[in-house]
Amino acid sequence: MTFPVITASAVGLTRNVSGRRFPHAEDAPALEELRTEIVEVLGGDSWEHSWQVYDVESMTTVQIDHLVERGLMTPTFADCAGMGRGFAVYGEGQASLEINGDDHIRLLGFRPGGQLAFVWSLLNRLDDRLETVLSYGFDPRWGYLTARPKLAGSGMRAYATLHLPALTLTGRLAGTAVELARLGLGLAGLWGGAGGVVQVSNLRPLGKPETEILQQIGDISRGIVEKERSVRKMLLRDNPIQTRDQIGRALGTAQHAWTMSFHEAVNLISAAQVGMELGLVEVPGMAAESAFGLMSRLQSAHIVTDHMDGRTGCLESPEIDEHRARVLREVFAGAWVRP
Amino acid sequence: MFADESPDWNFDLSGSVTCEVCGDEPATMHLLKVVDGIVSHTHLCPGCAEEAAEQTDGLALVLAVPSVLRNLGRSPVAKESGPVVPSDADDRFCAVCGTTLSDVRESGLVGCANCYQVFAEYLEALVEAGAEPKEHLGKMPQRGPETDILRHEIMRLERMLRELVACERFEEAAGVRDRLAELGERLEGGPE
Repeated sequence: MTFPVITASAVGLTRNVSGRRFPHAEDAPALEELRTEIVEVLGGDSWEHSWQVYDVESMTTVQIDHLVERGLMTPTFADCAGMGRGFAVYGEGQASLEINGDDHIRLLGFRPGGQLAFVWSLLNRLDDRLETVLSYGFDPRWGYLTARPKLAGSGMRAYATLHLPALTLTGRLAGTAVELARLGLGLAGLWGGAGGVVQVSNLRPLGKPETEILQQIGDISRGIVEKERSVRKMLLRDNPIQTRDQIGRALGTAQHAWTMSFHEAVNLISAAQVGMELGLVEVPGMAAESAFGLMSRLQSAHIVTDHMDGRTGCLESPEIDEHRARVLREVFAGAWVRP
Repeated sequence: MFADESPDWNFDLSGSVTCEVCGDEPATMHLLKVVDGIVSHTHLCPGCAEEAAEQTDGLALVLAVPSVLRNLGRSPVAKESGPVVPSDADDRFCAVCGTTLSDVRESGLVGCANCYQVFAEYLEALVEAGAEPKEHLGKMPQRGPETDILRHEIMRLERMLRELVACERFEEAAGVRDRLAELGERLEGGPE
């Protein structure tokens, strides 16, 4: 069984329409007009797939969070309350588009696995298509102009999600973060750092072509994951009892708990994944699904949507924790620890 | 999916922040620790950050991001950092959107494309952080004016010229210089 270096790939591309003020400085009628203009472009017939446009203002918290959890919407956009906001999803969710968040347009792409180049290529094509109708704010010195000057340049931020529980537990992630910072890259916990799931991203889109940024993130991610794998082996070699104990306990909890927070679930799945990669445990229920996929569908809005018919408006309900524990019990039902 | 952006990545931090450990050096790193579910933030200089990184053990998650404080240490926000921006800088405002320099300092946001010209000095200092000046490289709008493409190519060649001269590759530099002169003439002649 092989395990991917990059767990998931995401890219965001920021653009603004020339001749207009950025959303926070623009008046409501002008923002509404721009949203209508962009939505009309999305409704054109020259797209390979169609766009599904959402009325953001009438969506429930669960619906919004579900989009965030699927990687289709950024938490920043979900939390902002500006005028003239719009949102659309391309095809089956291959890409999405935020309208009038911090900037007029933010194209987003997200895919499981090491697919940064693929996601960028798709967004690049969608961007080209948008630009046949919209004229972008651009300056030869600053590149694509954005409301936050630190994001001007290519307007692209790429995010590689990595699974680094051993580096996290041993505190070695700090050294990695310091090294990354020197290269203009940032490290952030995806779910508050639970399970050692982190994202590496470029912090400065200025001064480097998009492909070079993607290459750099890919190369560095490979190096970090190599380090992670060697630390795991070291942990097993130096502390075999403790390592087996932690992983075994995780399996036991996953098999028998009746209520489970999302963060605990991520930690348990993370431990089980490490156990599988070290050859210590077998989890047949995870054979056809990646650990990241399982973690993703245990997020609260996913549980509410997939298992509770969307019938609670509250994402903190104890019922969600009960459903999450049930799903986990089902997945881990046939799991066993190798002697 | 996308991790939450740390609010500390905004520009709205005071420019006079020093390292929280040694208290001497400017804080250029931001360490985020999560220990037993409790999140703490520390602003450190690179030396102390490295030390903190080495000393961390047990069940601790330490994440570091290059803080914008690095920029602020050299930017006009830190008034003692030098006369990067004229003293009347606070009175500046953008005639198109009404954004003032104080607004930009406080929110990290500019209001329109024209702000990039009005607050150019401040933004240059903020983004470049005293490093080698960087200009945009990469994709360009297909519908942009030809002058944009020319100006972009000129900036690229100027950078190449500087590097060639630094490496004492004068013959190649002469070729680049000639090409620059040619593009300069085309730019002055305006778009065809």
